[in-house]
Amino acid sequence: MAGPAISFSDVNLTLGGVRILRDVSFKIESGELACVIGPNGGGKTSLIRSLLGQMPHSGNVRYEGDGAVQLGYVPQFLEIDRTLPLTVTNVMSVMVQRTPAFFGVKKKYLSLINAALDRTGFKGKRNRLFGGLSGGERQRVLFAQALMPEPNFLVLDEPTANMDEAGARRIEEVVLELNALGTTVLWINHDLAQVKRVASKVVVVDGGVPYCGPPSEMPPQIAETRAGVVV
Amino acid sequence: MSGILEAFRLYVQNLSYDGVLPETFQYAFVINSLICGLLIGPLLGWMGTMVVVKRMAFFSQAIGNAALTGVAIGIMLGEPYNAPYISMFGFCLLFGIGLKYTQHRTSMSLDTLIGVFLSVSLALGASLVLFVSARVNTHILESILFGSILTVNDTDINVLLAVSVICVVVGMPLFNRTLLASFNPGLAHARGLAVRRLDYTFVILITLLTVACVKIVGAVLVVALLLIPAASARNICSSLSGFVGWSVAFSSASCLLGIVVPMQYDLAIPSGGAIVLAAAVIFVITTIIRSTSGRFREAGV
Repeated sequence: MAGPAISFSDVNLTLGGVRILRDVSFKIESGELACVIGPNGGGKTSLIRSLLGQMPHSGNVRYEGDGAVQLGYVPQFLEIDRTLPLTVTNVMSVMVQRTPAFFGVKKKYLSLINAALDRTGFKGKRNRLFGGLSGGERQRVLFAQALMPEPNFLVLDEPTANMDEAGARRIEEVVLELNALGTTVLWINHDLAQVKRVASKVVVVDGGVPYCGPPSEMPPQIAETRAGVVV
Repeated sequence: MSGILEAFRLYVQNLSYDGVLPETFQYAFVINSLICGLLIGPLLGWMGTMVVVKRMAFFSQAIGNAALTGVAIGIMLGEPYNAPYISMFGFCLLFGIGLKYTQHRTSMSLDTLIGVFLSVSLALGASLVLFVSARVNTHILESILFGSILTVNDTDINVLLAVSVICVVVGMPLFNRTLLASFNPGLAHARGLAVRRLDYTFVILITLLTVACVKIVGAVLVVALLLIPAASARNICSSLSGFVGWSVAFSSASCLLGIVVPMQYDLAIPSGGAIVLAAAVIFVITTIIRSTSGRFREAGV
């Protein structure tokens, strides 16, 4: 299931009188794993939200390719009140099933949920309250929901920011597995070592896009002054 | 529909004459109030869980208070003073949708907007009440504020039944999606949900339910029955099934106790107040359970 190619052309975004994105143009090929890096406030999340159709941007964002786009999106966090009595399984079932989750989880969805959680290395704790999980555990659950159903286009907004090393490595393995099957990946990532390890393309976002290309060819002055990373 | 209600009343009255049910069930108004209690109990208990998750408690309060203005408008426009439903539903829907629309257009926080809308609505209501007080007994307005479950008639029951059907038929299939949209609107949108449409649908359902319940528990107290059972359930539950199940049970029990107990024991407590007091007792008990049980212990600060 080949993922779509994504092209941004002349994308501009102004919010509250502040120009967030300026003439952003670049393309991610089908099946490519592209990492988005940039300083805080550089417009990375806004770029992704423009791609998802959630921002009043101008310019074009186009999906290219045959077949339907099956999007998997991992946001930075879920705004769930910590004290609400929602288990991990409750939260996951809300994502996939139409029957109200308080009636329980249907068998076919339960196996789907368990498979997705297993894949991210989330062992046990499925009946624990979501609010009682650590930041890293929550991110594993958030990542797992993006695997239901299996995506051919994966958009990740810092999915490993609060994770321990083992967790981050597990997520990386799953992303690489999906990418090997043809899934296009767009990944906001601040870990330059990981970016160099996994990405076929790096997109530096700092208002505009000063660099888009292979990580190995990124000019050091851009990495130091525009990408928000320490080389 | 009135035929079915009449047949049901006769059936219950016969049970009372046969000694199966207490003597108070020989009166039609008691059976009417019980029908209302059995309708609004489960419904408010269930919808209350969504109100709590979506943090819209004061929205419901605002809608309840806006109903007073709706009543005043209805009486001014010549609707029956004891059932000005068209104006109540019309004004409250306008109020709720207008509030949500303003929030979407301005990105202002909901509590600020509720404060603004509520103040304007109450100011308008207070001004109009001055005009209509010359035409009707002001006790009518009092029954809007505090409810009068013992005076409900077939029209009130039919309105409540229609709203209950709408809430279940529309709200039940949207339960998961409404929850997801409140967790993270961006994620919900990415998963293909029409987040704004869900928001408006929920606002409309809560408005319809609140207005339909105003006559029974009152504009001031309807929000209590949306919140207290859900808060009580939250005290003792550790899953969504328990949360919704206990909230429905607590709300239904509060309604039945609030109606039956004052009549059985000749207590001079209005039904709306008695229902909310029953819910409050359950809340106190569950709070004690939560605070003393190690199962729910949390960090002190």
